[in-house]
Amino acid sequence: MFAVKLLKKHNEPNIWLISYFLLATLAVFLFISLITGAGYISVSESLDYLLGKPEAIADDKLTTVMDTLRMPRTFAAIIVGGCLGVAGTLMQSVTRNPLAEPGLLGVNAGAALGVVIGISFMAAETGYAYLVWAFIGALVGNGVILWVANHGSAVVTPVKLILAGIAVSATFQGITSFLLINSQATYDQYRYWVLGSLAGIDLSIIGQVLPFLMIGLFTSLVLTRPLASLMLGDDVAKSLGHRPKLTRFIVTITVTLLAGGSVALAGPISFLGLIAPFLARAITGPVLFQQLILSALLGALIVLIADISARLIVQPFEAPVGMILAIVGAPLLIGLTHSNRFSQLILSKSGN
Amino acid sequence: MAQSMIKLASIKHNTDNALVIRLNNGNYSLLFNQQIVLLSVVLMVLLACAMLGSLVLGTTTLSIQTVFDALLGQASQSQQLLVNEFRLPRVIAGLVAGFALAIAGSLIQHVVRNRLATPDVLGINEGAALLMLIVLVSSNAGLMGPWWVAPVGAFTSGILLLIIAKGLGTRGYRVILIGLALAYLVRSISELMLAHINSLHASATYNWTVGNLNGRGYEVAEPVALILMALMPFLLFTSRQLRVFQLGEELASTLGTHITRIQFMAICLAIIFAGLAVGIGGPIGFVAIAAPVIINKILGSNQLAIINTGLLGGILVVVADTLGRVLVAPLEIPVGVLTSILGGPFLLWVLLNNKNA
Repeated sequence: MFAVKLLKKHNEPNIWLISYFLLATLAVFLFISLITGAGYISVSESLDYLLGKPEAIADDKLTTVMDTLRMPRTFAAIIVGGCLGVAGTLMQSVTRNPLAEPGLLGVNAGAALGVVIGISFMAAETGYAYLVWAFIGALVGNGVILWVANHGSAVVTPVKLILAGIAVSATFQGITSFLLINSQATYDQYRYWVLGSLAGIDLSIIGQVLPFLMIGLFTSLVLTRPLASLMLGDDVAKSLGHRPKLTRFIVTITVTLLAGGSVALAGPISFLGLIAPFLARAITGPVLFQQLILSALLGALIVLIADISARLIVQPFEAPVGMILAIVGAPLLIGLTHSNRFSQLILSKSGN
Repeated sequence: MAQSMIKLASIKHNTDNALVIRLNNGNYSLLFNQQIVLLSVVLMVLLACAMLGSLVLGTTTLSIQTVFDALLGQASQSQQLLVNEFRLPRVIAGLVAGFALAIAGSLIQHVVRNRLATPDVLGINEGAALLMLIVLVSSNAGLMGPWWVAPVGAFTSGILLLIIAKGLGTRGYRVILIGLALAYLVRSISELMLAHINSLHASATYNWTVGNLNGRGYEVAEPVALILMALMPFLLFTSRQLRVFQLGEELASTLGTHITRIQFMAICLAIIFAGLAVGIGGPIGFVAIAAPVIINKILGSNQLAIINTGLLGGILVVVADTLGRVLVAPLEIPVGVLTSILGGPFLLWVLLNNKNA
C-alpha cells in the first residue's frame, strides 16, 4: 500500500503526509468530476468554463450544465462521503464495535419508512419531497431508539444501543414492507429511491441540509477528547473530568444528524460508514482524531470516485452510486481483512 | 464380586443442578443441565399450544374438539380438508423454517461472539433472493422458480463467502466482514435488477423477499426437515464443542478443541440451515437474531442451548404466521413482515427489563 512509503522512523504512519496526499487526490477527482458526466458538453468546453474564459461563461447551455448538474453533484458526493465516514468512526468508537454502522441506529430504516409514508399518504413525488420525508424519518427513527434506550431500568451500554437500533429498525422495515406490499404504485417509486443517487440534487437542497451536517461535523471535533477517554473505561473517563453518559448521548445525536442528512441527500448509502472508518483505522491505528480526519477524507474520496464511475460506466445511463460503492468497497474490505494489521486491530477490540 | 460388576449406566445429580448419566462404568458420561431440560419442556408445551392455536384460528374458526377430530380423520369432509390440507402443512412449514433460522442465528452469534452477527449479515438471504430474481426474469412464463432455487442461491453465496474467507481468522470476525461486503454487493445487484424489470415481476419478487408462508406446505417442509434430521448429529457435536469454546480460546485449545475446525463447521452448518429455511418461506427476518438473544436472557449468556433456540424460533414463526392470517382477515400480513414488526418491541422489552445486562 502507498501508506508504506509514508512511514516515519518508528513505523508510525505520518498522518499529515497521508492527509495531504488524500486531499490532493480529492482535488484531482473533484476536477475530473467537474469535467465529465452529464450534459452533452466536451471536456475542453468545461475546462474553459472552469478557467473562467468569458466566451465560456457567456454560453448559457454550458453554464446550466456546470452550475445545475455537475457542481451540486460533486459537492454533494464530497459532503455525503465525508459525513458518513465521520459518523461511522464515531459510532464504532462509542460502541467499541468495528461492525457498528450508522445505518444500525435506525437512520436508514427511519428514512425509508419516512419516504414510503410520504409516497403513500402525502403524494410525495419529487426529489425534494423525498428528501424532507427521509430526513424526518431518520430523525424520528433515531429519536425512538434514544428514547427507548434511555427508558429502561438498566444502564445504556453501547451494545444495548445497537440492539435497540436493530430492534427498532426491524419494526420500521416491517411497517415499510407492509405499506409496499399493499401498494404496487408506492413500490414502483420506492424501488428507484432505494438505489441511492446523487443525480438531481441542486445547490438549494444542499444549502438546506448543510447546516445540520455542519453542526454534526463541528460537534464531532469537540467530542474527540471525551470520546477517546471513554476508550479507557468509564471510571477513568470520569476521573479525567468527562461525563460518559452525556458523551454517548451527544455522539448518538451527532451520528443522527450526519447520517440522517446524508441519507436525505443521497438515499440510503449503507456500506460507507463501515468501509471508510475501517480503512482509516488500518492506516492510523487507535488515535481517534486521526481516524476522524482520515475517514472523512477517505469517505469523501470513495463516494466521489463511485459517483464519477456511476456516470461513466454505462453511458448514457447511470449506475446507482450504492452499487458502484459495493463493487469498489466490497473487494477493498475483503482485501483489508486479509492484512496482518487487521488481525491486530480486531484482537485489540472487545468483541461484544 | 461387586467390584467386577460393570455398571452399565448410572444417573445422579451433581452439585450444580446437572444431571449426569454415566455409561459403561464411567467411560462415557453425558451431562444435562437441568435448567436447559426444563426449558425444553416448557418450550415444547408452548410450541404445541402455538400449533393448536394456528389450526384453530383463521377465517373459519374451528373448535379445539373439531381440530382433534379432523386430525384423527373423524370430522366432516370440509373440516378435514381445512385442517389437514391447508392449515397443518403451513404450520409444519413455518415450524421447520423457524427452527432452522434460529439455529443458524445461534451458531453464527456464538462463533463470532457478537450479537450483530446473523445469517442476514452473511449475504445468505441476498444470494437466495438474487437467484430467485434471475430465475423469475429469465423464465418466459414469469413465474417463481421451484422452491430449491432459493437454497441453491443461498449455498452459492455461502460457498463463495467461505472461499473468499479462506481461513476463519481470529474469532470469526473476518467471515462477518466479508459476509457484510458480499451481502451488500449482491443486494445492490438485486436492487438494480428490481429497478429495471417490469413492476409485476418486481412486486412479486419483493413479496417473496419479505418472507411469506402463503401456500407453503409439505412439499417444501418435508425435504428440508429430512436434511435437518440428517444434520442433527453434526449440529449437536458442534454445539457441544462451541460450549467449550465459550471458555476462551486458550482454555478451549488446551482442552483439545480444534478451534478453527469447529468455527468452520459451525459456519457451514449455519449457512446450510439458513439456506434451507429461506427455501421454505423466503428470508423471514429477525427470528435468527431474536431467538438466541431471548434464550441468552433466560439462561445466562454462557449457555448454548441450541435445540431450545430452535424450538423458540419455531414458536416465533408459527405465532407470527397465525397472527398474520388472523389480524386483518381476509387480507394476510406476510409472516416476515409480522416477525419484523412484533420482534422489534419484544426484543426491546427483553433487553430493557434485564437489570444486569
